[in-house]
Amino acid sequence: MGKLRRAVMWTALLLIILLAVLSAYGAFLGAERAERFFNSIPLTLYWLVLTALLVAGMVLFRRLTRVPGLLLVHLGCILVLAGGIWGSEAVCGLRERLFGISRIRKGQMAIFEGTSERRVMLPEGDQSAELPFQVALKDFRMEYYKPAHLLIQTREGQSWRIPAEIGKEFILDEQLGSVEIIRSFENFKIKEEDGKNVYYDDPLPGYNPALEVQIDPPDDEVRTRFVFELFPGHAHPEDEFSLLYLRVISDYVSELQIIQDNKVVAEKDIEVNHPLYYGGYHFYQHSYDNRAGEYTVLMVVSSTGLNLVYAGYLMLSIGVLWHFWLRHLLGAIELRRAKGQTAQHNGD
Amino acid sequence: MRKAKLRSTMEIKYTIQGLLIYLSIAVYLLAFLAAILGGRKAGRFLHALGSAVAALSFGYRWHHVRHVPLQNLFEVFLCLGMLSYPISRFCRRVLRVGGEHGDMLIGAVVLLPAGFVFSAEPQRLPPALQCWLFTPHVAVYALSYIFMAKATFQAVAQLAGKPASSGEDIVPAELGTYRIVCAGFPLLTLGLILGSWWGKLAWGDYWGWDPKELWSLASWLVYLGYLHFRYMFGKRHARINSLWVVAGMATIVITLFWVNLSRLFAGLHSYAT
Repeated sequence: MGKLRRAVMWTALLLIILLAVLSAYGAFLGAERAERFFNSIPLTLYWLVLTALLVAGMVLFRRLTRVPGLLLVHLGCILVLAGGIWGSEAVCGLRERLFGISRIRKGQMAIFEGTSERRVMLPEGDQSAELPFQVALKDFRMEYYKPAHLLIQTREGQSWRIPAEIGKEFILDEQLGSVEIIRSFENFKIKEEDGKNVYYDDPLPGYNPALEVQIDPPDDEVRTRFVFELFPGHAHPEDEFSLLYLRVISDYVSELQIIQDNKVVAEKDIEVNHPLYYGGYHFYQHSYDNRAGEYTVLMVVSSTGLNLVYAGYLMLSIGVLWHFWLRHLLGAIELRRAKGQTAQHNGD
Repeated sequence: MRKAKLRSTMEIKYTIQGLLIYLSIAVYLLAFLAAILGGRKAGRFLHALGSAVAALSFGYRWHHVRHVPLQNLFEVFLCLGMLSYPISRFCRRVLRVGGEHGDMLIGAVVLLPAGFVFSAEPQRLPPALQCWLFTPHVAVYALSYIFMAKATFQAVAQLAGKPASSGEDIVPAELGTYRIVCAGFPLLTLGLILGSWWGKLAWGDYWGWDPKELWSLASWLVYLGYLHFRYMFGKRHARINSLWVVAGMATIVITLFWVNLSRLFAGLHSYAT
């Protein structure tokens, strides 16, 4: 191996080891600080050197261009790095300063039901930017796994987890008696009518899920209790056990529309794992109004550099599969075929 | 979507699920005993049987939770337990790599946390895990981890100076290590890429600098470094080659255990406890 090629090889090895160590170090920083660390000036230089080294390696080592698997793997790595650098905060800022190309790299937008918004809150403190189109929220909803559950726990550590099915009686044991779920509420409210408390499910915007539970102890009167999902751990002193209303969210859905020039140009019901893509941006279900469910919070992410990264991933995947598996598999099949033909020939 | 509390105490599972796990462990250990006492055929048969029982356990869990059981550490280790024999057989027949005894132990060892430590409480899939990429991402990683665990056993055998098994067409430990890493490395790469793709779909970032992602990257880089080092020096520094692989396994153990279980590394993968 020539001196230059040996130097490139050693540098590559050292850079790989360095990145492994930095990755381990970055893991201790937490995601936010690690992102700042890996986008700092010294690490930006590292990424550029790594990319340049990969290119140099492909020039100096002909094997990397002649062997298909190795070509794909190394080219794939170059594309992934190039895509990451192109979409980085530093390069985005550079594009804005040099060419006046202003683009929101990442941010969040909160939209109330029935309204539209174009303002995006940026990660840097209280700065915001505007999209060139409106994003409207028709409806936001949360979907739950069915059935919900009622968790019953005694002071002695016994517990039962029963499906929250209306009208079904569940016998705990001889000492504790039974429980029955009478009603469920999405937005529990109390009002007074004729001097009495009336419990109802308020159809107006709001979010206070609850269960009405009837407890029937063996040696006492039937008691009614209300269990609130948002206020767990509540127990009456006279009760032998505490009750907990458990619902597991199965999905968050935001019905979005993109409005440009007063026309709806795109619409989609977005969920986690199913974002909306429009105008070079992805819109993700990020958070929501956990008090009344009236607004959604979207994560807005620019797609700059993404195609390069995905192309790099594809090449890297095909490259490793080809180089480490498929070429050997095809070679073995070819060898078997040749042996078979030779045996046949000898037999003839 | 964040942390579930981990019950870190040892406990025996008096359930059908637990019974299947303990049976698999027992059969794997019997296989190991039979093999070291010279009963090679009996050992292989019991190894296959242990894997079949572990697969039954995995299938039982799948039926019970009604989704592919790869959501938390209990389920992942259940999956790892059933992969021991298929991967061992593949390595023996295709790669000509020995070390079956170690594979039987791997099968038993990975089932121990599932049987005694991790909670088997079924959990509904949170929205973030309802993605078609969830299964291939975790499954591919599980496969790669078993390959790399076997490679580590070979590496340790090389460091201990253990000769290759006689009477069979088995390669020396150093070459065996290399072959297994070559088999497992594409899976490790795919796991990383599929996870990145899923991250983009779910959270908007193909790379979020999450501790799990960084440790996964570190694992991948250690094996990448091994492949480059071995290309440069071949078998001249066999012991260093083996140490690379052992270091890779250490990063995998950290990625799998420490990141998920330690409060030191809060991140998106905390739900996997």
